[in-house]
Amino acid sequence: MKNHLRFIITRGGLLAALGLLFAGCATNVNTVERAQSQATPSYIADKRVITDNTLANTFRVVAINQTTVSGNLLKLQATVENLRNSTKTLNYKFEWIDKDGMAIDSPNETWKTMLFEGRETKTISTVAINPRAVDFTLKLRE
Amino acid sequence: MNHTRSKFLAASAMLAAAFLLGGCETTSDTRTVDAKGPQTLNTSAINPQDWANAADQLVASLLSSGALEKAPRQPAVLAVDRVINNTALSIDTDLLIKKIRVALTQTGKVAVTNTMGLGERAVVASEAAEMDEMQTGKKAKAQKIDYTLYGKLIQQTDRANNVTQNTYTFQMSLVQVSTGLTVWEEEREIAKQTKRASVGW
Repeated sequence: MKNHLRFIITRGGLLAALGLLFAGCATNVNTVERAQSQATPSYIADKRVITDNTLANTFRVVAINQTTVSGNLLKLQATVENLRNSTKTLNYKFEWIDKDGMAIDSPNETWKTMLFEGRETKTISTVAINPRAVDFTLKLRE
Repeated sequence: MNHTRSKFLAASAMLAAAFLLGGCETTSDTRTVDAKGPQTLNTSAINPQDWANAADQLVASLLSSGALEKAPRQPAVLAVDRVINNTALSIDTDLLIKKIRVALTQTGKVAVTNTMGLGERAVVASEAAEMDEMQTGKKAKAQKIDYTLYGKLIQQTDRANNVTQNTYTFQMSLVQVSTGLTVWEEEREIAKQTKRASVGW
């Protein structure tokens, strides 16, 4: 009986220590938001090409929505979620395409870096500086 | 005989030294990288990616604010005022301003005038006006300016343990000349942490 009790206490202590250890390492983000969203985003139906499965298992593009700013300039916003329980770095780049399918070069559309805490969801956005932009490509890499 | 042996030993020593030093030598390796890519060097200073990132965020904020939509004419005439560098770095602020000018000009909502401010842009504008006057015989009339853009770069350095953090703040304001009111303002920050390398024996 005594031995059995000692075993339970030891196992419990080990589990508690492990719990504390993992809790200490976690950098996950908890969120609170309005239950019924008042926003009515204009979501884009997207096509995805995955060449890096590790990246796809780390970051998930939840949705992409668009709006128009300054009268005739497209603005895009991608909502990205870190699927891992640790801090991760995402590199991303937007590229714009005109109605003839030609790429529109911009001096500011470079690879950008963003840090995500564990399980954090963030938005990345850009504004097309050229009114001829109608389509886009969002590139992602770790 | 002894003389030959010592010559042989000296030659051997020199050969060994040559091999030893040859082994330490490394050839320089230069490669071209994409200046807009993630392979660019990340230093504690402001690198090309940081400039482009700051310019992109400032332009996106200005365009999203709708301030230029309320301009009295299209394209609105914009003059770039001072950009104060309050960092410890010796930098050419055109690394930021030129990107913003290019982006705003591409939108078609802004025409940037060079008749205001100091430096090479004002010289170019002055020479162009002189050329026009010489060709037409009339004094060129400068365009009325609708907005002026000015900015400031600030660096804050913090140190804790072996880590140094440099936070670069990019501030920018758009002032409507007719009213003197600031119609748009933005601030973006880039923080960089550098850990001092420990010395091992």
